[in-house]
Amino acid sequence: MHSVAFSVFGVDWEFFKPYIVIGLATGGAYALSGVGIVVLYQATGVLNLAFGAIGAAGALVSYWIVNHQPGVPEWLALGVCIAFGGVVTFLYGVVLGPAFARREPLVKMMGTLALALILLGLMQWRAPQGGAFFRVLELPTSEHRYELLGATINLTQILALVFAIVLTVGTTLFLKHTKLGTAYRAVATDREITATLGVPVRWVEASAWLGSGIVCGTAGLLLADLFTTLDYTALSFDFLIASLAAALIGGLRSLTATLIGGLVVGLVQAVLTPYESVTQYRTTAPFVIAIVALLWLGRHRVVVMTKAAR
Amino acid sequence: MRSKKLSAALASTGVLALLVAAVATGAGSATAPVGSGKASKTKSICGAGTGKKATGAPIKIGSLNMLIPGVDFTTMAKVAKGYFDCVNDNGGIKGRPIQYIWYEENLDPAQQRSLARKLVESDKVVGISGNTSFTECGTNWRYYRSKGITVIGAGVQGECYGVPNIVEVNSGPRYSAIAAAQLLVKRGAKSLVIASPDGVAGYSDPGVGKVAAAAKIPFKSFPTKLPVTDANAALLQLMQAAGKGGGIILNFTPDTAPAYMKAIIAQGAIDDYLWGSTTPIADNSMAKAFPQFDNKMFIGQEFNLLNAAAGPDTRLMLAVLAKYTKVSPQAFAQMGFLVGKFTTQALLNTNGPITVKSYNRAVRNLRNVKTDILCKPWYVGNALPYHIPNNTNIGATYRNGAVVRSDACFNIQAVDREIAQTRVWEKKFKLNTAK
Repeated sequence: MHSVAFSVFGVDWEFFKPYIVIGLATGGAYALSGVGIVVLYQATGVLNLAFGAIGAAGALVSYWIVNHQPGVPEWLALGVCIAFGGVVTFLYGVVLGPAFARREPLVKMMGTLALALILLGLMQWRAPQGGAFFRVLELPTSEHRYELLGATINLTQILALVFAIVLTVGTTLFLKHTKLGTAYRAVATDREITATLGVPVRWVEASAWLGSGIVCGTAGLLLADLFTTLDYTALSFDFLIASLAAALIGGLRSLTATLIGGLVVGLVQAVLTPYESVTQYRTTAPFVIAIVALLWLGRHRVVVMTKAAR
Repeated sequence: MRSKKLSAALASTGVLALLVAAVATGAGSATAPVGSGKASKTKSICGAGTGKKATGAPIKIGSLNMLIPGVDFTTMAKVAKGYFDCVNDNGGIKGRPIQYIWYEENLDPAQQRSLARKLVESDKVVGISGNTSFTECGTNWRYYRSKGITVIGAGVQGECYGVPNIVEVNSGPRYSAIAAAQLLVKRGAKSLVIASPDGVAGYSDPGVGKVAAAAKIPFKSFPTKLPVTDANAALLQLMQAAGKGGGIILNFTPDTAPAYMKAIIAQGAIDDYLWGSTTPIADNSMAKAFPQFDNKMFIGQEFNLLNAAAGPDTRLMLAVLAKYTKVSPQAFAQMGFLVGKFTTQALLNTNGPITVKSYNRAVRNLRNVKTDILCKPWYVGNALPYHIPNNTNIGATYRNGAVVRSDACFNIQAVDREIAQTRVWEKKFKLNTAK
């Protein structure tokens, strides 16, 4: 039995194939975050730029409990990250959500950016980075490793991918076949008319914030491990860009396209690695993909210049 | 009546016991201030070691330290300040305290230029000590030279080791990487691969290439953009280039190296390659966090080990860190301590009023300054066109949660003409010959 020797744009297949596995594993985490962002956007019209920062802050709290509260069981300490994401996002949505409800999408988005910066400031204050000090939050699942196509992946990476798929399928079914899901879609279509029909809009939105927050906390927990160190600045922004690129590929609407988008972003980033001419620029892949997605989404938009506009 | 007398006796005994206890406790806590006393072969002190606070007009020393995502060089300044605080608590420089003014820079040449001018022209510092950056040496060395300033710092880029008015306490990433390469070649590496931050790779990595060429094995360099957000893919690239049995050198600080080390563990690749590193990860907290690398990570270590047995300077450094800083024992702390020690030595050696001219003359005249933190005495060496005083490293590795010595002091391989020339000067001018 001889393996077929061929190359992918000059890179031997044997060298190339492990990057596919690593790319899909990373892409699963991007997809997970992207789906969380789209669900919230669909229900509330808010593009949550604090998604990464909330997850990172939750992971930092879990790290602190794991390392400084020895009496607390590990599962509980890790669960705090998920709860933190849910509570903070829910509180933001309940307290500030209604105030922003009638504002333009840009204003709603800037509100979440403010939350991200506040959380980042708090993290810098209470847990400064640098000074040759590092934090590692490792999930027990990372100790289970498997060989696939020449790469080693761990159970956390598989879980991220599986969770992203389950979340996409589950949320799609939920939106189609449940009363609350129908309410979500109605609110997304027209909040005012939905309210006049007797749908408790605020309750619906609050539940969307809570659900998205729980996804955010879960993504934060998984990413803190997958990112290899708990670098909350990178978790707050670098991963947010990648997740936003995934969400934009889905047009901020389609969960399936977002899932695929996340996987594509992770895959592109990883498979560029063995190409020397572009390897240094591979981390910009999410930005490039996000720009392309934005151009694609806006391809049918017509700009009308009126006298007043001039 | 009897019971009253008994009570009085008991009370008196109690009071006496309390007094004795108070005196005893007081005596127990009255330990000598950190850095005070008389210097000897077994004891290092801060400055004059008087144990009394300096009160005169401050002597200003300045520093610029880089802070960017993934790399924090402010630690050197924090520790140098701690050392100067210790000097100030021990009589200062002839009664005058040192005022250490340091600014954070963010790898922006315009900012580096303006902050250097602020230090010299607005803050009126007499000297610059402690600078550490990817690029600041190149940006400002001409300006410092125009002002008659010789910088004592911890260097990274080529200019830090290639101009007449900058002298570093460390070997820097190029020579430390060469040392790491020597350690791996000695252990039979079949190839050499190095990953460095893209800002320094152009300077630091070719030295390893020369070691590989001398050993007749393949070499590859991977300039890396920071922060590293995909360590698994980046590591895979290094492993594919090295091939099994190859040597892979990580040239990163503890802000970035753990990402790779965790990925190495995740990929189950520890035993398939020889792992090396430059100095920054010779840190006990790293050794504790990564027990998987016990006896499997070989570090070109520019300084001695971080335990008290290393000698009096190391003991003083540990005491200064504990009292004056929040910095844990690490290589960057050793750099900051040495900056403080050598600067203080120059200030103490300054004749007459301390001015920019007199202090910097004293800096240039430093030679044969002994310290147990380095393999050989340190020097500046007046009128040399460049300075590489720290050109001897030890080999270090992790063992049982601590950094331990794997190889005794050894000369950094003279693959660069500058190292060979430096050793000629050292011999000719007797720059580091003190015992």
